Amino acid sequence: MLKLIDMMHIAIFTALMAVLGFMPPLFLSFTPVPITLQTLGVMLAGSILRPKSAFLSQLVFLLLVAFGAPLLPGGRGGFGVFFGPSAGFLIAYPLASWLISLAANRLRKVTVLRLFFTHIVFGIIFIYLLGIPVQAFIMHIDLSQAAFMSLAYVPGDLIKAAVSAFLAIKITQALSLSDTMFTKGG
Amino acid sequence: MMDSMIIGKYVPGTSLVHRLDPRTKLITIFLFVCIVFLANNVQTYALLGLFTIGVVSLTRVPFSFLMKGLKPIIWIVLFTFLLHILMTHEGPIIFQIGFFKVYEGGLVQGIFISLRFVYLILITTLLTLTTTPIEITDGMEQLLNPLKKLKLPVHELALMMSISLRFIPTLMEETDKIMKAQMARGVDFTSGPVKERVKAIVPLLVPLFVSAFKRAEELAVAMEARGYQGGEGRTKYRKLVWTGKDTSVIVSLIVLAALLFFLRA
Repeated sequence: MLKLIDMMHIAIFTALMAVLGFMPPLFLSFTPVPITLQTLGVMLAGSILRPKSAFLSQLVFLLLVAFGAPLLPGGRGGFGVFFGPSAGFLIAYPLASWLISLAANRLRKVTVLRLFFTHIVFGIIFIYLLGIPVQAFIMHIDLSQAAFMSLAYVPGDLIKAAVSAFLAIKITQALSLSDTMFTKGG
Repeated sequence: MMDSMIIGKYVPGTSLVHRLDPRTKLITIFLFVCIVFLANNVQTYALLGLFTIGVVSLTRVPFSFLMKGLKPIIWIVLFTFLLHILMTHEGPIIFQIGFFKVYEGGLVQGIFISLRFVYLILITTLLTLTTTPIEITDGMEQLLNPLKKLKLPVHELALMMSISLRFIPTLMEETDKIMKAQMARGVDFTSGPVKERVKAIVPLLVPLFVSAFKRAEELAVAMEARGYQGGEGRTKYRKLVWTGKDTSVIVSLIVLAALLFFLRA
């Protein structure tokens, strides 16, 4: 069962995800998935929280969205978004942050560079692998067309992977007095 | 930047839709999202349109609020519409400008898929417009109760949902405060080259996350001190009541689904 402190970390992190989503996104004119700081939250959850908490924080976030809270960038929300073009990307969030957390715990020495690569593998490639086919399916377009549209996000996502690696280490250092959350395994 | 966002966007009211049990509304949305995909011709899309307009007028929520809900997705709708017009090459050509051809199949499919988006967004927006976030999480907890048998922590999930909803505005305020504090120290968040703006994220997010995590710890201590011990044997202050209205709403949805099934091509 979940400990109370873990539950509170999850709940607060979910709220942080929402706050990140409210920071102004970068809109691109030729693709329906906007660049946002929200995926920063996916990577940060993975590299700050334990695997289970990271997964749950994203799951709670998606549940809030599903039940209509307009927390996605641009004030989107509601069950309908899981049938929209970004559905696959959203569903990948909990899995991605879980994987990032697992991988980060395996790192013998956590450095910005290593976290950066972890974020690229699980926070970008993995999310794209789930997101692109779903987008193609929902918009009734070819896989290659959907993949091509996602190309536009790669630069933004690379920046986010680097920034969140740097942030994760800064935040963990700032919080290192706390013993409950940044532990190996779990 | 934060002021324009209204979390939950609840519009108080006493309409029929406001008074429905939140469970009914959740089930309705769930069913609606499923049956919307049954529609595939003019009659079925018109029927769904009538239903949506009917529900919208029942809520008596001002039209401008609905438009706010639609605004962010308008361009997604337009984009999908254009994509279909350009990519679907079925049926006769309707008109042609140079090498730019519009086929009937593309136009029809573009309109249908855009309509489907609009219906989905309208109906789901209505949930948050007519139901408080607390009612929603209460309803969700009740609906998911059977899943407790599968060891799914339903109560815990609902609690975490309510707590994060409660703390979003608080953390927004905090973000604003930190932003102002850092701006006073000379950090520029709004202008400058991309590199500088990315750098400006660090002095904003590090304090935000640190204070948020401190808050989480304080919350846990406070709850422990008050003897919180999970969902077992917990009583509720707000009780959900299922009435005849709720049953009739569900029945009318089933009728709608049946009609769609017969009318679809």
